[in-house]
Amino acid sequence: MPLRRRLRWLTPYLFLIPGGLWLIVFFVAPMIVMASVSLQEGSLATGYRLTWNFAVYGQVINEYLPQFWRSGIYALSVTLLALLFGYPMAYTIAFRGGRAKNILLLLVILPFFTAFIIRTLSWKLILADNGFVLGTLKSFGLLDQGFHVLASPIAVISGLTYNFLPFMVLPVYVALEKIDPHLVEAANDLYASRLQAFLRVTLPLSMPGIFAGSLLVFIPAVGDFINADILGSRDTTMIGNVIQRLFLNTNAYPEASALGFVVMTVVLVLVAIYARVVGARELTVG
Amino acid sequence: MNSRPLSSRTLAVAALFVLVAVAGCGIAAQSPTPVTTPTAPPVATGTPGASGSPAASGTPSATATATAVPTPVPTLAGQVIFGNWPYYIDVDEDTGANPTLDQFTAQTGIDVTYLEVIGDNSQFFGTIQPDLAAGHPTGYDLIAPSDWMVARLIRLGYLQPLDKSQLPNWQANAQPALRDPWYDPGNVYSIPWQAGIVGIGYNEKLTGRPITSFDDLLDPAFAGRSGLFSEMIDTMSLTLLSLGVKPEDATPQDVQLAHDKLLAAAETGQFRDFYDNSYYDALAVGDLAITMAWSGDISQMQLYDNPDVKFIIPDTGGLLFVDNMVMPNGAAHPTDAYRFMDYWYTLEAAVPLTEYIGYFSPVVGVQEQVRLDAAAERAAGHPRYADKLDQVAADSFPTAEQLANVFDYKNLTEDEERIWNDLFNDVLNG
Repeated sequence: MPLRRRLRWLTPYLFLIPGGLWLIVFFVAPMIVMASVSLQEGSLATGYRLTWNFAVYGQVINEYLPQFWRSGIYALSVTLLALLFGYPMAYTIAFRGGRAKNILLLLVILPFFTAFIIRTLSWKLILADNGFVLGTLKSFGLLDQGFHVLASPIAVISGLTYNFLPFMVLPVYVALEKIDPHLVEAANDLYASRLQAFLRVTLPLSMPGIFAGSLLVFIPAVGDFINADILGSRDTTMIGNVIQRLFLNTNAYPEASALGFVVMTVVLVLVAIYARVVGARELTVG
Repeated sequence: MNSRPLSSRTLAVAALFVLVAVAGCGIAAQSPTPVTTPTAPPVATGTPGASGSPAASGTPSATATATAVPTPVPTLAGQVIFGNWPYYIDVDEDTGANPTLDQFTAQTGIDVTYLEVIGDNSQFFGTIQPDLAAGHPTGYDLIAPSDWMVARLIRLGYLQPLDKSQLPNWQANAQPALRDPWYDPGNVYSIPWQAGIVGIGYNEKLTGRPITSFDDLLDPAFAGRSGLFSEMIDTMSLTLLSLGVKPEDATPQDVQLAHDKLLAAAETGQFRDFYDNSYYDALAVGDLAITMAWSGDISQMQLYDNPDVKFIIPDTGGLLFVDNMVMPNGAAHPTDAYRFMDYWYTLEAAVPLTEYIGYFSPVVGVQEQVRLDAAAERAAGHPRYADKLDQVAADSFPTAEQLANVFDYKNLTEDEERIWNDLFNDVLNG
């Protein structure tokens, strides 16, 4: 009897062990290593030594401020675009999908069956200056010969939006799916127009989905370097590209780690503010 | 959710824990201090023409000089893992197989795991450096770094000295011009895989005129359709040459001037991007009109992907690069690796390789054999293929005229590397 009671008390903690261990090994430990590396000084030949060199943080923020801003602006644009395209998609699937619902959902996640990089590379072929699309338009004289989409901010933002769109559609769909259609009917019975019913019933009830979706899109978009690397140019360098180059090309491990931490901190702060303003209320109500 | 705010005591304990962990980590990270200078002096090992039996006996070879660290020669393992660059091996267009690799496996019974993993020397170094610094195996038996990277790997003690008695074909057939190179005197750690020239590739249909100089890359007529390499040392060295400075004589002021020249052009949107191997596709499909390029890539592109492209050595000079086979520390199958390295110094391997990839071959007699093959193809009634082979033969070793206008890289110290890299990153990050 006492043993049983003790076990019951322990159960939630036992359930926490696998997840907790996972986080410690794959999140906490790398974070600590990264923190340590960011504060080291040295060279490849002599090795790196921990010197508590906090100055590196100020230095990298100063040096890479333009790329920080650019990443933030790109990620914000991507989130808004994903919402703009994703919400109507999710709405249609949830309320008008009928029997095709599952197939439509499958179509949304179908791109994930192909590797991220392959999908991005295939855009590079599709949008090549003299490729299938632009080449055809150019041969009809509809576009200037020098016109190009690749190697521009538009290409990078479009690529990011394309790649992360499902992360917006799915949570919004889940939120919309849960809404009882009778609520909308009730609003209509109470003389709400369809627009009013949407704005005052459906939209507020789908806020948890929008909240989750925008985080799922914004956070990976800020740190992404694949799209800027493949579809962009020098002038679309994002903070992820800077970190990647510092790590792999220059072997400047301390600077790269420090930048990683700065990005993480900034994102955490932004998410906290966002959660305060939009999310917390909705999540606690939900 | 009714989470209580964390008490300040909990926070203090947590902060202390993190601090201790970070400090502990620093100590742990510095303990496997990267190996100091290698002990092997650059003494030529092995007697020339050492009896050619490709030691399959499995006994450790005794021919290495006493001071060089002889790689113990265990028995054949039946496999070898080679990390190379893309577009650097012959491919059977119908089956996708690699005939020279299959031939090697048929002859020796050694399976080859051929991985196209190097897109850029620095990036590849970045992926294997942590393992090498910690003394762990990289998973590769052989890798194919370029000359200046070989120098860096040697400097850091990451490579195994080669036992030349295991490489009889190399001893007999290596091109004299590529022996005893600047980056590895005496070939203590490396033997060449292939070589080529860093110059300029362009699509004459898109440029509308022949290209002659480095400054054509900066011509506003090609704004947004010009490409440079993301490999710092290639781009900076070629730019230095355009300023009339030999890379090996470059002073910090010269490097600053090269940076200024590139940055000024980059800020006007002159360059579409800074490329690794991916410039190949961009030039082949016409996204680029003009770009820095590797000579052999352009030979291949002419033959297989785009007949309009041309390669030139800029009038201010190109760079001679040599990609090498080296054995990183911790290679698991060294005996197989020796067999594999030596295999490429036979004509039966080197000729088909050159006929397909079109780079400079480090093997004596390849050029002659490709010419003979061309004549045979012509006699057999395949004039177009024969023309291609004649072209390959002409490209398969630099002419005296070409050699007169190509230069070596500078052997950079780590401090110099940092200065050059910082300046180059400033150009790279828009």
